Amino acid sequence: MLSFRILDLTIALLYLSGAITFVLGLIYTRKKVQNVSIWMTMCGFVLHTADLGLKYALGLGEVLTQSQFYVSLMAWTLLLIFFLLWWRLKLNFLSLIAAPLALVTFSWSLAISPATLPIPGILQGLWFGLHIGSLFISIALLAMAFGAGLAYLHLDSKIKTKSRMGNVTKELPSLTTFDRVNHWAVLAGFPLFTIGTFSGFIWAAFTWRTIFTWDPKEIFTIGVWLIFAWLFHKRATGGWKGRKPAKLAILIFILSLISFVGINFFTETHHSLRP
Amino acid sequence: MEQKIHLFGLSHKTAEVEIREKFALTGFNPVSLELISKDGPVYEALVLSTCNRVEILCVGNQDQEQVKGKVLESWAGFCGAEKDLLSRHIYHYTDREAVRHLFTVAASLDSMVLGEPQILGQLKDAYRKAVEERSTGVIINRMMHKSFSSAKRTRSETAVSSSAVSISYAAVELAKKIFGELDTHKAMLIGAGEMAELAALHLLNQGLKEIMVANRTLERAQELARRFGGQAMCLEDIFDYLHHIDIIISSTGSTSAIIRARDIREVLKKRKNRPMFFIDIAVPRDIDPDVNQLDNVYIYDIDDLQEVVEENLAGRKEEAQKAGEIVEQEVDKFEKWLNSLDLSPTIVDLLNKGESIARKEVRKSLRNLPPDTDERTVQTMEHLAESLVGKLYHEPIVFLKRRAREEGSSEKYIDLARKIFNLDEEQIPDNPHAEKKRK
Repeated sequence: MLSFRILDLTIALLYLSGAITFVLGLIYTRKKVQNVSIWMTMCGFVLHTADLGLKYALGLGEVLTQSQFYVSLMAWTLLLIFFLLWWRLKLNFLSLIAAPLALVTFSWSLAISPATLPIPGILQGLWFGLHIGSLFISIALLAMAFGAGLAYLHLDSKIKTKSRMGNVTKELPSLTTFDRVNHWAVLAGFPLFTIGTFSGFIWAAFTWRTIFTWDPKEIFTIGVWLIFAWLFHKRATGGWKGRKPAKLAILIFILSLISFVGINFFTETHHSLRP
Repeated sequence: MEQKIHLFGLSHKTAEVEIREKFALTGFNPVSLELISKDGPVYEALVLSTCNRVEILCVGNQDQEQVKGKVLESWAGFCGAEKDLLSRHIYHYTDREAVRHLFTVAASLDSMVLGEPQILGQLKDAYRKAVEERSTGVIINRMMHKSFSSAKRTRSETAVSSSAVSISYAAVELAKKIFGELDTHKAMLIGAGEMAELAALHLLNQGLKEIMVANRTLERAQELARRFGGQAMCLEDIFDYLHHIDIIISSTGSTSAIIRARDIREVLKKRKNRPMFFIDIAVPRDIDPDVNQLDNVYIYDIDDLQEVVEENLAGRKEEAQKAGEIVEQEVDKFEKWLNSLDLSPTIVDLLNKGESIARKEVRKSLRNLPPDTDERTVQTMEHLAESLVGKLYHEPIVFLKRRAREEGSSEKYIDLARKIFNLDEEQIPDNPHAEKKRK
């Protein structure tokens, strides 16, 4: 257990150094420092992958019933999506969102008691794969769209109002690049969000013999899904680009965060992650 | 040291264009024109002649007046003009001041447009020519190399050259901020004017996919389209094409707006809200400013662009202070090297380095001996190492002294010795000449 503590602390430290170094690199407009920060986060990510794998292997699946594991997995998924976008779009800038979010989420997972949750065993494998997997990837995509959306709105307003761009703004990628992140996040994120949400309903049907139980999480998720569906539709067929989808992606991510943190930990729900 | 660095010059800051033209030194060869001679006061020289700057950098003897007299005589003689007239306009720096001036010029901190990098290329050309003419020696060679590396440092460590300081470049920078890479984007030039054409040219240089030219007279449009390798059209037809266009540069002589917000609303629908960037260089403006209210549409007129340029220039001035500090550090380093070119400091450095290596090696060897090794053996080993250093460096030191005595100047040998034994502790890359070989 001690060795796991050391591993966890090393990962947290690497994420912290990655986040701080990136901010410094951005403030002092040093590309090399930014790259070093991304490599630090990547080292943390590799150790994090090993950490999750080992915990799963040694716990022989028992970890799947611990909220700590899921929060840690959320942090890992955030970085997985960040590295995919970083690799495809060469978007160093998203590290500004990814590294601190991963740090906060991972640190939070360390603070949660590892006590076991009362998760019904039925269809656990499928539930994990579809419900959690697709929802987490979708939320990670939304996190990236959130970061890109904030940067888009900032840069757009600077160009529109013709106000002076500081050094950090000058270093930002183009509006089109940020819009492309939103495009990917919405087009890939919404189907995954849908799979995640409806696989949950199917799982509920097997467990409680009813699809909808009026659980606060279910009601909230349906609301978020409707807004997401609207954004997906407008983005895919209505030719929405730029400010509107950026704002809506920001809203959906904030709602997802409220759902993940507020509902799972602070309300009476059968999605509770409280030990 | 018997030598002194001198820099004589005329620049846009000290002499008007007529004077600079009169004293231009294009084609001046310091060797064939006998500015440098074996017994004369000038030993090395390099000439820089551009439209904004004419300078002679030279190494001469300690008698300033003698060197100045020789340089001005040669300079005025080459230009067929009066020496007095030249004398009234030139600036003259020596030693540290000359080095600082050269490094400042190379870093583009003395240019008409602060931070514009052309001067570095011109300096490199001047140096290449001087090397071909064999008019440079140890000091100017080192000084030029250091001026290039110092300029590189100021560029990488400050933002003195990073922002656009001309209207057309500011427009290109903004286009890149909106679209990223321009190689998949199309532009339309409406009307023609020098600045609009320049902006179009800069966009094409940035890899723009295609440019269309619209004009009131089709012939003029065709003429411009030929120049840009694009397509020509009449002004009336622009709305048939606008939905394909990402960047519009407009500079017609029209007295009222030719593109209005309601027209663009329709165009945006057709192009599924892909962003559009309007550069309106016309006065009065060609494009209704309300267009800027639409989402995904950006419009900059001539005043907006001028403002961007002025802000960038102000930013460069701030950065120039930082760059000035870097130049000062580099001048310090160069001065230190220059002072080391005297024989005594080099001998001291050589012996110090040798002794420090010897001491280090003795310490290492002593660790391998048994702990009860007697004091006499230790002393013998230390003595052996020190004698070896003395003996090994004896011949090179005698050689340097002899050169100094017989040739009067031993800089090139001292410089070589410093390089061979790396007395200046420089970081040498694994393959320093790789770039040269590629060329």
